[in-house]
Amino acid sequence: MLLIKKGMVKVSTTFERLVHWYLALSCLLLLVTGLGMMFHSFNFVSVPFGGLKNLKLVHNGSGLIFISALFLAVVTWWKDAASLDLPNDLEWLKKGGGYLWKVDHLPETGKYNPGQKIFFMVVVVVGLMMIGSGLLMWRPEGWSRDLINLMYALHALGVVLLLPFIVVHLYLGTVGVPGSAAIVLTGYTTKAWCLSQCPKWLRKKEKEGSLEYYTGNGD
Amino acid sequence: MSQKIKLYDATKCTGCRGCQLACKQWNSLPAGQTENHGSYQNPQTLNPSTWLLIRFDEIAAGDDGVKWLFRKDSCMHCSDAACVIACPSGALFHTSHGTVALDQKKCIGCKQCTIVCPFGVPQYDPGTEKVAKCDMCFSRLENNLEPACVKACPTGALQFGEAGEMREVIKDRLAALGGEGRLYGDQFVGGTHLLYILPADPRQYSGLPIRPQVPAALSTWKDILKPLALLAPGAVLAGTFFHYLTKGPKDVTEYGRKGDS
Repeated sequence: MLLIKKGMVKVSTTFERLVHWYLALSCLLLLVTGLGMMFHSFNFVSVPFGGLKNLKLVHNGSGLIFISALFLAVVTWWKDAASLDLPNDLEWLKKGGGYLWKVDHLPETGKYNPGQKIFFMVVVVVGLMMIGSGLLMWRPEGWSRDLINLMYALHALGVVLLLPFIVVHLYLGTVGVPGSAAIVLTGYTTKAWCLSQCPKWLRKKEKEGSLEYYTGNGD
Repeated sequence: MSQKIKLYDATKCTGCRGCQLACKQWNSLPAGQTENHGSYQNPQTLNPSTWLLIRFDEIAAGDDGVKWLFRKDSCMHCSDAACVIACPSGALFHTSHGTVALDQKKCIGCKQCTIVCPFGVPQYDPGTEKVAKCDMCFSRLENNLEPACVKACPTGALQFGEAGEMREVIKDRLAALGGEGRLYGDQFVGGTHLLYILPADPRQYSGLPIRPQVPAALSTWKDILKPLALLAPGAVLAGTFFHYLTKGPKDVTEYGRKGDS
């Protein structure tokens, strides 16, 4: 499958893609090792790591990697993803982004639509919650028992909040919106995709004359 | 196997600490250096190599001067054990005797049991990076022997046996004490497998919780958040399948110009 063809437009930078996968892999590692400790029925996950004790070490280590990844993600996407475009974004949300029922007209979105902005903020807020609670669980000495017990509950609440969003993210980033996955792999997608997903951003780039086209042969 | 109960009858205890020593002997636990804190109690708290501690509380008793209260501080072996609920590796487990044992080989040193236990029993050892606690001499119970502390007790303050028989012993003893003794341990955390007969109000004992319970945050974690952590993403995953089948993927060429591939 050729992901990249002549005439495609550049939507993400190499740096953005590296940050995306750095964050994604640290999340995946945390998820797998975390669920392996949370449920006895998932304890088998620890086998390739050489036991649950190592799983805990890997989980804690991945947590430290996640801290740096979340920091990079905030630096990279805060400007575009943490700002609202009112009243357009509210209108977009009221229409479910056109994903759930038939919508005649959708307000045009910039680089990120409100759905993506919400996902970004959930990752940031829940991410900070997981970092804070996780660090206290790692070093509970000197804190009150009630506080640490609360941290364990918060850490699990984070999983409950984050996982559904990650499922939706994986769906819309792959088969749900064709052409999206290519962006985090190659940086390029079709102009039609941009007209559908980020028309305001596309027009702005065209006006500035800063839109980059893929000029290679496509393989 | 049947449920077992260990009874500590404080009205018969002389604070000789024979049980404390027997515990160390059977479990091969090293002695610590004695430090004077102005009390016979030594060490001051349970620790990774002290799974049983006789506590000495001095209570002002009006005209009678000062009264000494002894308490055998060790794992209470709860029926609803917070430590077993919390343990991620299955290192802490309920035995067929109803007691709570610990398989140290499985312990990953996460310390959660030290946080959730309402009695503050499990002790984390930074040296081995594992927790330690009384397992009511699981190896002895498995071989039809009474716990080492019971074996050593010279006054009969410690007794051990089948739950049914022990309840009779307790009933008779409480009747004999005629209101001077009160039972501690059967009213909470599903009933403990170490029961106390105390000659004084539980409030007068240091480090003894009045209403010990599985922390609410732990119950929330286990009964609500854990199942939700799988149900919520599972439901959303099913939702995305439904969405794909009924609405289909987004047609990103809808707004696009023909020819732009």
